[in-house]
Amino acid sequence: MTGTMTGTMTAAVPRTLQAAVELRGVSRTYGSGTAAVRAVDRVDVGFPRGTWTAVMGPSGSGKSTLLHCAAGLERVDSGQVLLGGTDITSAGDADLTALRRDRIGFVFQSFNLIGSLTAEQNVALPLRLAGRRPAKAEVRAVLAAVGLGDRTRHRPRELSGGQQQRVAIARAMVTRPEVLFADEPTGALDSTAARTVLDQLRAMVDSGQTIVMVTHDPAAAARADAALFLRDGRLVDRLVHPTARAVADRLVALEG
Amino acid sequence: MLRLSWSTFTERWPLFIGAALTVCLGVALVQSSLLVLISAATLDVPAGLSASDAIRFTEGASVAVTVSALTLGFSAFLAVFIVGSTFAFTVAQRRRDLALLRLAGGGRGQLHRLLLGEAVLLGLAGTAVGVPAGLATMSFQSWLLGALGFVPAGFTAEWRTWILGVSVGVGLGVALAGVLVAARRAAQVRPLEALRDTGDAARVMTAGRWVIGILFTAGAIALIVLAPIGGAAGGMAMAVNVALCGSVALSALSPLLVPGVARLLPAGRAGVLGELARANMRDGVRRSAATAAPLIVLVALVLGQSGALTSFAAAGEAEQRRSTVADLVVEATGPVGAQVAAVPGVAAASTEIEVPVAVTHGSGEDAETETGLGLVVDPAAYPVAHPGAGSLDGLVGRSVAGGPGGDGGAVGDTVGVRAGDTDLGPLPVVAAVPPGIGGGATLLLPPGLAPAGDVAAGPSRTFVALEPGTDPGAVSAALTSIGTVHGVGEWIARDAAARDATSAGVFLVVMGLGGMYALIGVVNSVVIGAAARRPEFAAARATGLTRRQVVRMALVEAWGVTAVGLVLGAVAAAGTLAAVLGATTAVTGHATLALPWPLVLTVVAGAFLVTSVLTSWSATRGTRVTLLAARD
Repeated sequence: MTGTMTGTMTAAVPRTLQAAVELRGVSRTYGSGTAAVRAVDRVDVGFPRGTWTAVMGPSGSGKSTLLHCAAGLERVDSGQVLLGGTDITSAGDADLTALRRDRIGFVFQSFNLIGSLTAEQNVALPLRLAGRRPAKAEVRAVLAAVGLGDRTRHRPRELSGGQQQRVAIARAMVTRPEVLFADEPTGALDSTAARTVLDQLRAMVDSGQTIVMVTHDPAAAARADAALFLRDGRLVDRLVHPTARAVADRLVALEG
Repeated sequence: MLRLSWSTFTERWPLFIGAALTVCLGVALVQSSLLVLISAATLDVPAGLSASDAIRFTEGASVAVTVSALTLGFSAFLAVFIVGSTFAFTVAQRRRDLALLRLAGGGRGQLHRLLLGEAVLLGLAGTAVGVPAGLATMSFQSWLLGALGFVPAGFTAEWRTWILGVSVGVGLGVALAGVLVAARRAAQVRPLEALRDTGDAARVMTAGRWVIGILFTAGAIALIVLAPIGGAAGGMAMAVNVALCGSVALSALSPLLVPGVARLLPAGRAGVLGELARANMRDGVRRSAATAAPLIVLVALVLGQSGALTSFAAAGEAEQRRSTVADLVVEATGPVGAQVAAVPGVAAASTEIEVPVAVTHGSGEDAETETGLGLVVDPAAYPVAHPGAGSLDGLVGRSVAGGPGGDGGAVGDTVGVRAGDTDLGPLPVVAAVPPGIGGGATLLLPPGLAPAGDVAAGPSRTFVALEPGTDPGAVSAALTSIGTVHGVGEWIARDAAARDATSAGVFLVVMGLGGMYALIGVVNSVVIGAAARRPEFAAARATGLTRRQVVRMALVEAWGVTAVGLVLGAVAAAGTLAAVLGATTAVTGHATLALPWPLVLTVVAGAFLVTSVLTSWSATRGTRVTLLAARD
């Protein structure tokens, strides 16, 4: 689908300047009538390649919905979502499945590993679903890269939260996705485990990975290259090279 | 994908063992019932039997065939229903895992294939165990039929090799049918919704449930309406099927009904635990509905079937009381009418002698022969002893009359009659007594038509009316030399008790194993539902509930779901009873309803006992707070 769906408009833009993910006038509303909630309201934003962007905002500001829309997990009511120039707004289920397999990775707050599979099996899963038989060494290398080379045969329940999240990162990274989407990846972790996970993400960005991360933790946002602020579904502010203090101040201002 | 299935299996084995067990029992029951049915249907009359005995033998075998066919029908229905609801529930219980697969790049087709592949494996595993289990079931069913006197001693059902194909087909068929709709639905739902259990994924009341619910409700209503015009036999069959249709309909609609009924349950005294339990029941509609479904079917079938049998037996007894005018009944052998009439004090005596008959309707290729009972009657005395029978004045010489059994033929027909060993040739049906709900003789024969030898050897009963002012004791004493004498009330009660024993036997054969199967279905859904709740129970402990409080909360919830299952099952059974009222009114003119209260109470108590024991067991196992940490 990548070939046929590439927009002619973006094809001419040099790759280095092209955003990894771009949202154009995206809106998403839940419910209808008087109960309707506009979770994302006409948002225009691009996430540059090889950068780490933190999406922040008070609870209910629509940051998770924005992330899900950008990742093709949630349909948008209007606007366009472009992934590497490909318009995925109206992609069918088969296209979205292929997308999840090859081009994007997810990490959730609640890890979402499959409890019955070992770390190794969890990591190999996306490749096997894509019909590949990954070499053991390949899978172990990815696990080793997140510092879990000695935990390959453990099941999720035998691992700490931080370790589980690193397995989830390894699973998301095994397909070498263009973009890694992370929804509160440190939300369920203590500060030490969170730091390890954030170090991991930083190392990945430094070697060229694009990451879009939703978080409410200023310390996590401070590790990113840029922080976006949402309120009531609208993009209201942006910090480049954020510090924890600056992020916290903005958040307090937004809450008020 | 297979390895994924395997690791899922090792992780969630209660789910899969439960599903395979339902297939296994379904296969065993269907295979056994089918083999017993075929063996009963092809039962050869033993060589060397007199024609009279042969007719009796065939008569007995045809009852065995009917009972086995009923058993097969119920078994097949239960297999489809219980396997279907269990499999759908197992898929629903795993929707989180399935959503994760989709998020990791699994396509719809892959998910579909995974679930169907598992169904095939479970179906095959269930069949592999079910076939030998079916052999054990078969010897039990044959023994039961023999012990209850439906088949001659020494009856054994035969194994047939082709049944293997049937059993594999049944096992795979019910497993695939059970998972097909659920798999399609699981693959259709958007992964994020499945993960959070929102949107389409959270909808329990699916279009399929609506369609099945409405169709089967309509079917049940149609059967209630039609039962009164079905006659004695047809009305009974339709009445029993009302509960069947009703239970399917209510099970399909149960996600709608469970929360509503839950609201009706008293929760005042249960306090905060009761409130929690009620909230859980409403919130876990899928689980509540899956637990209630087999219970609804069990209660509906057991109460419906037994209620119908008891009511029809009661209607038969009442009818006989109304249609019999006599003071004493003399049971003897052969034509004793003249002797009885000669006893002083006897005003009237109607002697009826049993002779086995075979009646042939139609001719040539359409000819159909049925065996049954003939009664040699006194055409003048019979209508006196049985008012309402109409005149039998024409029943003389070479003619017959249709009996209360109702299948002897209509007035004006000509039927071929064989009485005992003798072919009596074609005979006109000159009269017919109204068919009775309790059945009875196929034909009434005039004296002198049937061979004298058969008549002389036939068991007879003579209804005796006394002259006013005579002492019944004295007449009884005088009649004792002719045969056994009973007061008419006592005789009818004994006759009814014998029929009750037969219906109880039929019920035991048809519903006994099926009931066990449905009960295992209940056990299954309770265990499967509870297995997934351990983290929830552990969380309740962490919130400050004591172990006992958690168990009590789970128990209140289980009682609620059990009550819902019982109520909805009773509603379906009530449909059967409505049809029974219609049918008995139409056939006897009197609406009759009799409920086997001991059985009703046993079912109610048993349902509560089983769900309570299982729930306490699984809730106790799930109350360790450490389980919380183990959650991935």
